[in-house]
Amino acid sequence: MKLDARRDPSAGDARTDHDLVYAARDGDTMAFDALFYRYRDGIFRLGLAITKDPSAAEEIVVDTFARAHRALARLEPDASLRPWLYRVAVNLSYNRRPRKGVVLSSLDDAVDEALANEDGSPSHVAEQAELRRLVLAAVDELGPKHRLVVVLHYLNGLNLTEIAQVVDCPVGTVKSRLHYALRRLRTHLAAHPELGIEPRRPLIATGLRAPKPIPAPVPLEGGE
Amino acid sequence: MKLFSRGCESDQAAYLSRADRLGPWERIALEAHAASCAECADALRNSRSVDAALRGAFAPLRAQRTMIAPGRVRLAVGPPSAAPTNPWLRAPRLFGRLMEASLMVAVTLFAVGTSLDLSTRPSQSLTPTHSVVQQYFRAQPPAGDIDYLRWLRLVKADASSTVSEPTIFPGGRF
Repeated sequence: MKLDARRDPSAGDARTDHDLVYAARDGDTMAFDALFYRYRDGIFRLGLAITKDPSAAEEIVVDTFARAHRALARLEPDASLRPWLYRVAVNLSYNRRPRKGVVLSSLDDAVDEALANEDGSPSHVAEQAELRRLVLAAVDELGPKHRLVVVLHYLNGLNLTEIAQVVDCPVGTVKSRLHYALRRLRTHLAAHPELGIEPRRPLIATGLRAPKPIPAPVPLEGGE
Repeated sequence: MKLFSRGCESDQAAYLSRADRLGPWERIALEAHAASCAECADALRNSRSVDAALRGAFAPLRAQRTMIAPGRVRLAVGPPSAAPTNPWLRAPRLFGRLMEASLMVAVTLFAVGTSLDLSTRPSQSLTPTHSVVQQYFRAQPPAGDIDYLRWLRLVKADASSTVSEPTIFPGGRF
């Protein structure tokens, strides 16, 4: 147990979420800290993407883990605690979404802060920043359900099954939402040729599938 | 009934080819289909561009980190409660609370009951309190001398008395 006491939780813990939850339930604070360090950045990014407010995102991290701490006795993670934590974080984030009239920094500002540390020529950095701003603005124009699926997949790296667990709906619904979101983004981003995305063409222009002609009614035998 | 053609049904699979983590056989089948379907070929080609644009746009955000310490969570949760978890150990306290509550209810009911009693008293005065027999015996003069005089004074002083004027029998003891 001395080794446990000396272990630095922020350095990472090889134990699974299941083991850490059971250890935390028995009063092992280091196990709970290991869970915290494992997921705090992902929850912070998720909260930031939804609320667009870094301080609110930090509060969401704290509130999410506070709920996890209170629910330790009930938690039964099969493999990963991530879907449960992310679901709580999504609910908390939507409860804290900025009200109308409140101007908050958008994702673009967060990107700018990140790009400030990026290497490269100033013109290249500026060009990349502009492209990213365009893409994120297009993501912001999506509806909340579609934006959430895009954020969970492209920002948090969740696969479709995990997203379905987080948003509590079938995988088919997640696929449908992501498909719709990607089509909408393609339509939006096709206006910027520097991204190399072609606009969608109508079906007839592709030379495909002309609508099937309605067959003439077949006269019934023995009629009249 | 479909009024509009929705295009190829593999369009969704083409858009989700990156996100859905298709197996090798599924990927080969999709690409074989796209070779003969211009719509799916177009979707497959452009979904890669959209996918790359999104991954590039979210890349700086993925590098964002926070410096929150787990101590903030402990502060939010609060100190562990020292209360015993066994419900039987909390029974005396619960019993005491129940006693307090029942005493409060009893006192309240007593106060309300007495106030209601006072309020109904005037209405009781409206009803006759004396029976006819009582009135008759009250009207009779007492036998003793002193009592008789006292009674006579009282009867005269009572203005609301319905007792008839006492008659002094002639040739009596006085």
